[in-house]
Amino acid sequence: MSIDWITVAAQLANFLALVWLLKRFLYRPILDGIDAREAEISERMQVAVHAKEKARAAEADYRAQLSTLQSEQASATEAVLRKAEEEKNALLAEAHDRVERERAAWAAHLNDEARAFTAKMHRAGGHALLELTRKALTDLADDTLEPRIAAHLGRKIAAMDTELQRAAGKPDEALVTSHEALPRSVQGEISATLRERFPDLNVRFETSAAMAPGLSLSLGGAQLSWTVDTYIDGLDALMADQLASGPDAMGGAR
Amino acid sequence: MTLSPDETIMFMIWGIPVNATIFYTWIVMAVLTGASMLITRNLRPDVPPNRWRTALEVIVQGIQSQIEEISQGPSRHLLYFAGTLFLFVAVSNLLLVVPGFEPPTSSLSTTTALALSVLVAVPLFGITSRGLGGYFKTYLEPSFIMLPFNIISEFSRGISLAIRLYGNIMSGAVIAAILLTVAPFFFPVVMDLLGLLTGMIQAYIFAILATVYISSATKPANPSTTQKDNS
Repeated sequence: MSIDWITVAAQLANFLALVWLLKRFLYRPILDGIDAREAEISERMQVAVHAKEKARAAEADYRAQLSTLQSEQASATEAVLRKAEEEKNALLAEAHDRVERERAAWAAHLNDEARAFTAKMHRAGGHALLELTRKALTDLADDTLEPRIAAHLGRKIAAMDTELQRAAGKPDEALVTSHEALPRSVQGEISATLRERFPDLNVRFETSAAMAPGLSLSLGGAQLSWTVDTYIDGLDALMADQLASGPDAMGGAR
Repeated sequence: MTLSPDETIMFMIWGIPVNATIFYTWIVMAVLTGASMLITRNLRPDVPPNRWRTALEVIVQGIQSQIEEISQGPSRHLLYFAGTLFLFVAVSNLLLVVPGFEPPTSSLSTTTALALSVLVAVPLFGITSRGLGGYFKTYLEPSFIMLPFNIISEFSRGISLAIRLYGNIMSGAVIAAILLTVAPFFFPVVMDLLGLLTGMIQAYIFAILATVYISSATKPANPSTTQKDNS
């Protein structure tokens, strides 16, 4: 065990050289690299923190925008719903009005048709009654209707003589209107009946196709009719009275 | 059988003999420097670290953290010095497993040189840290009577460093060589494995002690710490 001082000196130099070499090629690059990486990481962390703050601010901004949009959407939806409800109500009211109008028009139309049908039925019934009466009179009594009507008119005039004279005043002319031309004998009979009350009376006979079968007497201010229509109207009034009285009244009538 | 590689002359350069200690020291230096250059040649911040660079970073940061624990603060110069001590001694002892390699640390001249470097480094770091007066004032603490003892302590620390490392490494190498002649197949392997362990431990102890000595010279006097140490 001995110390070679030359080797000691050489080893000292070697060691110092190694310190310099390792400082140059190991410690400084490694430590500088670590420092640079740490600085880069720190910088990135700062950037990340900044980005995070920006993201939070943007998130808050977007949340506020979203909230505003949602409230706007809710109010817009509410307005649209309200408008739709109003339009629906208006359309429903309009539809109801139109339906009511159509129903009224339809009811009026039905009434018109009913009236027309009733008139038609009256005319048809009158004709049928007239023909039936004619036929019955001809077949059973060998007679015609017109003289019987004229006779009946004479009896009616006699029954309401006072009232007729008061209503007619002092007439110069009497107009007798019928659906068909009356036979001469019937015209003479009617003229005679009237001249018994009004001696200077000029009696004129006319026909009217629009008029129902029967007679109509126009004497001054008085008007007297005896036609199938008035007869059927009388029947209608009778039936209406019977219907209004109820079933008991009808049963009683039966 | 030679006890020291100083006695083995490997070759001559311009008439100057180069012994095995210096030659193997150069090999260790070449290995350390070459490996460092290879690993750190493409070291740029934008290049991600590879596994070799990561290994070097682990080693360097491990040494740095040990030094910072002892010195209670960052010191790059102390890292250069103590880290080089550790790496040189550790690699020298690790290369013991290479057949024919004689660790330079088994030479008393090498360990003496290392101890001398520590002996010089302690006042240098102390003067740099505290100033000339501040450093030499520590020799008079706690009183001027302690001056000769402090001087003896300073030198004995260097000598103990040198002898401890030399004795451990040289004895391991000598025991392995003796066992190689007695039982050439099994025991030398075991002893070499044990030598690796003791070599690493000695490298750690040498570097740590050097760091402690330098740190104690650079640290400002702390009454509470001194009191605690004395107790």
